[in-house]
Amino acid sequence: MTTSTIATAPTAAVPRTQTRRPTNVVLVLTLRRLALNIRSPRSVAIPLLAPLLFAMVVAPALGNTLATPGQHKTYMTFVAIAAAGLLIPVNCMFAGLSVLADRQSGAMRELLVAPIRRSSIVIGNLLAALVITAVQVTVLILGATARGAQFEVGRHIAWLIIAAIAFAVFVYGLAEIFATRISNAEEYTALVPPIAIVPFFFAGTLYPITSLPTWLADVAKALPLTHAVALFRYGLTGQGAQALHNIWGGTDVASMAMLSLAVVVAYAGIALGFAIRLFAKAGTS
Amino acid sequence: MTGTASVVEVDNLVKIYTGDVRAVDGVSFSVRPGEAFGLLGPNGAGKSTTIGMLTTTVRPTSGRAMLGGIDVASNPTATRSISSVVFQDAVVDRPLTGRQNLTLHLRLWGVDATEGRVRYEMLCGAVGITDILDRAVSTYSGGQRRLLEIVRALLSSPQVLFLDEPTVGLDTRVRHDLFDAITTIRERTGVTIIMTTHYLDEAERLCDRIAIIDAGTIVACDTPRALLASVGEDVLELRVDDVRAAITALGDLGVPAADIAVTGSTITASLRSGAAARVTDHLGRLGIDVHASTTRRPTLDDVYLRLTGARFGSSDD
Repeated sequence: MTTSTIATAPTAAVPRTQTRRPTNVVLVLTLRRLALNIRSPRSVAIPLLAPLLFAMVVAPALGNTLATPGQHKTYMTFVAIAAAGLLIPVNCMFAGLSVLADRQSGAMRELLVAPIRRSSIVIGNLLAALVITAVQVTVLILGATARGAQFEVGRHIAWLIIAAIAFAVFVYGLAEIFATRISNAEEYTALVPPIAIVPFFFAGTLYPITSLPTWLADVAKALPLTHAVALFRYGLTGQGAQALHNIWGGTDVASMAMLSLAVVVAYAGIALGFAIRLFAKAGTS
Repeated sequence: MTGTASVVEVDNLVKIYTGDVRAVDGVSFSVRPGEAFGLLGPNGAGKSTTIGMLTTTVRPTSGRAMLGGIDVASNPTATRSISSVVFQDAVVDRPLTGRQNLTLHLRLWGVDATEGRVRYEMLCGAVGITDILDRAVSTYSGGQRRLLEIVRALLSSPQVLFLDEPTVGLDTRVRHDLFDAITTIRERTGVTIIMTTHYLDEAERLCDRIAIIDAGTIVACDTPRALLASVGEDVLELRVDDVRAAITALGDLGVPAADIAVTGSTITASLRSGAAARVTDHLGRLGIDVHASTTRRPTLDDVYLRLTGARFGSSDD
């Protein structure tokens, strides 16, 4: 700081006219979040480790061990797709930590006094989480393909994309809710396993939900992850009929897929709506 | 000051937190365009809650606040667009550079990029931080960070700039540099400033008018000069063993009870010029031991002491 600079600076008045063009505030906030995250590559790389391990090591190993001869690639593909069901919630839950970081660093206060809707802050963070998740899912699919998984990127791919986005929105909504309610990172991190990892084992990821006890299968049918994984299989292999049938019991695959998508979208809408409402309320004490 | 119509109008503002805690209890004041208005009081007096209500981060329980003619409660986004805040704690994104932080602010406040760049180059030059703009803010000193935040807050040419304890945590030299920076920026921009502080020298140096706030209410509001004049011409500080006898003696000399304050064994009395010698002589004649006697010009601390019966430093919140 140099007082002399202040004393000798030119005395021209700072212009007071303002041109307040409507800016895409959400995009600005998304880019801010990405700029902060990219400066911390660990936060991008670490959530990718476990799913990549699943896709490139565990899935082929399980395929070789458990599948009948000639079927190991099919099982490997089955497990590799499921890894997306682990990657998305883990990544989106960790993305919620950035809300805590903003609050603890004080940066959130600046955002709260900006002339923007409070919901824009949530949506901006969500979009950044979606961008990072999309990159990670792509890496996952490429990694699994490199190890021999057999995907069909064809006309059903839209089901995968829409289901993955809706499911990510749902988990990020939960993350934002918890981040708004919880004041420290330790407490928040403790929530990641029960929310992002435990459902993975009951959602038809490694085995069909029909292998579960009836009551647990019924619980699994209520989990958005179960519907999302079934849609991932349908979108990425075109052969998700069995997973959808295990949920709905029907035979019309397209209708069942539509129903499952409706379930995931409904979960996403409720979680995000509640997250925005809670965040806006918490922003004004 | 550039005009007479108020740019900030606060009318009977009340904030009651859970547990019936009255943080702000019927605060009213108005601020003219270009004026620097200070809310002075100890921690917990209600200053930051008042600023919180004006900046839409605290919802008033009752009362009304207007910024630039806009009702804060009913149109918070519009009021945020004509104001900026420099918070007590750093609120910048520390991993980003100073320039990135400034650009983010420009975009959030919807300022034209070209115009904004001209403005921040001018402001950064004025406060001497141009050379560090491309460094990550995490490498800045506390004073540099605070200057960056002040520049950032001014980028949108706000009608009202809120400074919430702007120099807290800074060392003396940096505080004085910051005073210069705030004065310079005020001269150049004509921005209206509302600042909170518990530093008396800061309020006296930077503010045109000061509202002294205690326990959520404003106990006095005037120019620093008028507030000081209300205390008297001289302040006599006496350290005595027999406080009661000394007070009685002061009363005998016609010093009103309202002009006498007691903190432990120290008596502070506001007096007319030249009366101090008469008081100490009188105490000596009465055989009251005076361990120390000091006569000085009044300060805002004396104003506060007279109005609330407590010293700034004695507050524990």
